[in-house]
Amino acid sequence: MKLLTHNMLTSHVKGVTKGYPLLIKATEVKVNEVEFNPKFVCRMIPKLEWSTLVQAADQLGHREELPGELVPDYEKNEDFLKKVHRVLLEVEVIEGCLQCPESGREFPISKGIPNMLLNEDEA
Amino acid sequence: MFSNIITETRGEDTMVRYYCTAGNGMESFLVEEVKKKLAARDVHQIPGKVLFSSSATIHRVCDLKAAERLFLLLKQDSPVGMSTHTSPAKTASMLRSRLLGDRRQWLSAVMTWSRLQGELAASRSAVTASTTQGVREKGRESERQSDEGKKCLQESRKRSYTFTAEESDEKRQRGREQIRRHALEKDDDVKESEEVCATYSKKELEQNVESCSKNMKNMDDLGEDASLESVENVSFRINCKCSGSLSRCVGAQEVSKVMGAGLSKLLGWKADLKNPKLEISVFLSDDYCLLGIPLTRLPLANRSYIKSTGLRSTIAWAMASLAQIQPGFCIVDPMCGVGTILIEAANEHKAACFLGVDIDDGQLQKADENIAFAELQGRVHLLKASSKALPLPSASVDAVVCDLPFGRKFSTRVNMADSLPLILSEMERVLCVGGTLVVLLSPQLSCVLKKLLSHTHSGPKGNKEDESQIGIKNCLVSSSEQQISQIKSSSSQETLTISSLRHQTTLRVSLGAIDGLIHKYIKTPD
Repeated sequence: MKLLTHNMLTSHVKGVTKGYPLLIKATEVKVNEVEFNPKFVCRMIPKLEWSTLVQAADQLGHREELPGELVPDYEKNEDFLKKVHRVLLEVEVIEGCLQCPESGREFPISKGIPNMLLNEDEA
Repeated sequence: MFSNIITETRGEDTMVRYYCTAGNGMESFLVEEVKKKLAARDVHQIPGKVLFSSSATIHRVCDLKAAERLFLLLKQDSPVGMSTHTSPAKTASMLRSRLLGDRRQWLSAVMTWSRLQGELAASRSAVTASTTQGVREKGRESERQSDEGKKCLQESRKRSYTFTAEESDEKRQRGREQIRRHALEKDDDVKESEEVCATYSKKELEQNVESCSKNMKNMDDLGEDASLESVENVSFRINCKCSGSLSRCVGAQEVSKVMGAGLSKLLGWKADLKNPKLEISVFLSDDYCLLGIPLTRLPLANRSYIKSTGLRSTIAWAMASLAQIQPGFCIVDPMCGVGTILIEAANEHKAACFLGVDIDDGQLQKADENIAFAELQGRVHLLKASSKALPLPSASVDAVVCDLPFGRKFSTRVNMADSLPLILSEMERVLCVGGTLVVLLSPQLSCVLKKLLSHTHSGPKGNKEDESQIGIKNCLVSSSEQQISQIKSSSSQETLTISSLRHQTTLRVSLGAIDGLIHKYIKTPD
């Protein structure tokens, strides 16, 4: 699971009102090189919950000096975009789990793919 | 009338007239694509085929996504008028006069063909060289090479078109478990090949493939200049297909025989069923006759970047093109299977983000491999969840694309119809206002969905919707009636929020033995 995916995910357990952001409990984290696509990163930034991204990166020990607040005029700041690219797309949780902040329900991550499937009584 | 392929100049602006075969219902997508990507002129559509002229490089033409196979156009003409009363001798002379034409035109066509083949061969070696240099990680080297191998295969490594290769490809694919509808996907092209093949033993053809590939290797080394000489001494084979009422008057073998003898006489070319340099395709129908030379050995629809195939790649591409993806979009496929739609979409849209969801571990694993193979790990992401409960916030995605499971491998058709309201309402929930939904359904499910939407739309709005959805006639199979009544009873119990989905279009496409229907909706502020 890349942090871009994490940024979009929310807990959908029945009755939960605040299922975001999911807490990451990683047992295996990898950094895989992915081709840098500045246009893509630029276009994704406005869609992100910035604080969630920074917090998640911090939890995994890969904050890469990302500032707590989104910098203005990031479109032309290649250095910044590269950092975001790394955190967003290159850091990957291979094994571990995601935890719902409200219900405490844990969703396992296996071979890099989060399992968000609910039991029948939870949906 | 021969088209304007008579161009010996090798300048950038050389116009070449091509035609592509396309699956039923895909012609309009292909017309749009050749206009947009190749700045094509004189675009002409006939059932199953699109004819066009373009000066774009052959690589760009080979990169068409909506097409099945690519041909250099030799001749396009009005149908050969024949009746069952025509004598065999008269038939033969008619075919000769209508299909053969002028010697010079054949020669120039073969020269154009040779030039294009040369360009394809040159780009292959260039790609190979750059790949070897560009290998970043050692571990990935073998993967890249196999990718490369596949690419080479696709781009007509062997200049002759050999049916056995195509057939065995079919078989290999069929063996793969994940192809759920493959049995249904035997398209016309394959049937056609079988027709021609029937007269030769399988073994013969297999040998033919081998010797052919050896020969072609030698020819690649000789380069294009040699091909200029060799227009005088071409070995060829005719691949003929007759359809409609015309096929009752004249058989494909008969046409091949007449054409073969005629070409030998006209040009001194040598007919060679086993190992020809040139394959000449002849299509005769009640509406037209079409002559061409295939430019690639494998269909364009065989993607070099997809490892395991799910949905037919051309249909997947067409669905992605309907989703009107823009830079910065986030696109979700809630039942992604092996990820075909997302991969086709991600290849086309480099600045958008794609999320594939599936409930099945096996499918997800194959999707994961496919994404890695296509080198799209940065933009296509996967997660396991049910399409009835997506772990995504409301109004968070820009487009939803989905091939709703149906077909032989899925015996749960009734369950699917039952689940449809809930699945649709999840899709609607995660879509932002203005977002697009593109779904592929069986004719039965299509009816269920139409009823479902007209049911939830009440008042004048609902009536309007009904009117705009007319267009599918023959889908009311008896079983779907049952499903619809079930839906009505189940949906009335749940509070569903699909009424904001505004129907845009419904398109019927062929999936082989059965048709599928692509529905497109836009989410309104409603």
